[in-house]
Amino acid sequence: MKKHNLITPEGTRDLLFEECKARRDIETKLMDLFKGEGYSEVITPSLEFYDVFNSFPQESMYKLTDAKGRLMVIRPDSTIPIIRLAETRLKDEPRPLKLCYNQTIYNVNPKDAGRDDETAQCGVEYINDENSMSGSDIKVLKLAAEAIKATNFDFRFEIGNGFFFEVLIKENRIEANDAEKIRQLVEEKNYPALSVMNIPDIFIELPKLFGGGEVFDKADKLFKSDNLKKCLNMFKKVYNELREKVAGENITIDLGFTSKRDYYEGILFNGYAAGCGKPILEGGNYKINNTSGIGFAVNVSAVARLSRGNYAK
Amino acid sequence: MQNNVIRIALTKGRLEKKATELFGKMGFDTSLLSDRGRQLIARIPGRNTEVVVAKPPDVLTFVEHGVCDIGIVGKDTIIECGGEYFEVLDLGFGKCRFSLAVKKGEEFYGGYGVKTVATKYPNVTRNFFGSKGMDVDIVKIEGSVELAPLLDLADGIVDLVETGSTLRENGLEEIEEIAQISARLIVNTVSMKLKKQNLDEIISRIEENL
Repeated sequence: MKKHNLITPEGTRDLLFEECKARRDIETKLMDLFKGEGYSEVITPSLEFYDVFNSFPQESMYKLTDAKGRLMVIRPDSTIPIIRLAETRLKDEPRPLKLCYNQTIYNVNPKDAGRDDETAQCGVEYINDENSMSGSDIKVLKLAAEAIKATNFDFRFEIGNGFFFEVLIKENRIEANDAEKIRQLVEEKNYPALSVMNIPDIFIELPKLFGGGEVFDKADKLFKSDNLKKCLNMFKKVYNELREKVAGENITIDLGFTSKRDYYEGILFNGYAAGCGKPILEGGNYKINNTSGIGFAVNVSAVARLSRGNYAK
Repeated sequence: MQNNVIRIALTKGRLEKKATELFGKMGFDTSLLSDRGRQLIARIPGRNTEVVVAKPPDVLTFVEHGVCDIGIVGKDTIIECGGEYFEVLDLGFGKCRFSLAVKKGEEFYGGYGVKTVATKYPNVTRNFFGSKGMDVDIVKIEGSVELAPLLDLADGIVDLVETGSTLRENGLEEIEEIAQISARLIVNTVSMKLKKQNLDEIISRIEENL
């Protein structure tokens, strides 16, 4: 049998000296920021029962069995375990719960795609009982914008809301199967495939609604119902507040965001940095079981690599 | 890559020629691209644009990682390899189709036996038969897939068909079309946002000149 005793598994790496320091520096910066805003750190186990993550695609998770033959996964996400914690040991704690974490997640990627299977993340979860768009959302959005600012790159902070897509699906009475197909195409801005489908034009226009403040004017012409217009106005307020108080011209919007993880609903946001082909921050509103909240995670591995100029530029 | 440079990954071969023509129509000076010799990266003079010439799956890889902002690649590669990027334009050239073909006159769907299908595109094949709830054995062939049924290795093939003449010359016939294929313009999801102005301009120029 061939031995693999001299190398690390695909998608993982040893971090030496400066690489190590770069990651720790960012972790410290972010965790200090989160704790300064009143978030308390928690650590969840790397191993969880598969049942905790049964909403995730099977093939994306590392799995093993315990001594009783039960299926386990190596944590592919930190939000769901923290919700588990909030609904069990912290169920009697006064809400809102403000929790933060600094831990790694594990995902199975296609072979030799050059992606991380092990990713270090720092993030927060703001857990509340009511699920309304409220002042707490804007606080978390501000914190996310601060977090991405703290990474010191030429950054872009982008907000969207899955609500627009969902309302359009309902207003146009589109069935669940078709809705999922359209959602995927909207998510990948697949204009050619959307334009040959027999669907209202608004679904072709929706994914094009991204950019700066001018998007609101375009959307205002395209959105007909009062419900959409009302949500657009609320969303514009959030955008203006973030623009004035935190991110300036670095904030953009994308109304074509849809909730790809089925636990997300409402506001969704991403952070981008030049030189990294994937978002370095992802977050949003969610409802998992009976718990609502808003949270985000910074991809510390990617930020650390960027900070060392070690990423393809 | 400097922030204001736009890098385009271009699929080597047939699509490269068509795309170079398209760039010419857009007013790009494509002399460095046409006469690139063994150079793999060609600058477009005066446009802050670079063109990288690569094999089809590599175009996807470069765009996904964000080392190229835009890619020009066949829908066949996109369906087979997947990945995360925006697929913003159907360029309309490089047209062909994925089809199921068998030896002329043979019945593919009859009987109780599990069929064997030879292909260069195992994912396309698996998804196609999977959507019919049908188990098939898939054999991956790297070169001329038409050989497999002729050598009795497979009952049928799933392959790209343009005119169908190769099939006919080898005594095979198309019995079912799986998907229509043409060249697509794909964009990295982060570039689309960070370089919106530049990319919007290029994409609309491309669209105007199709």
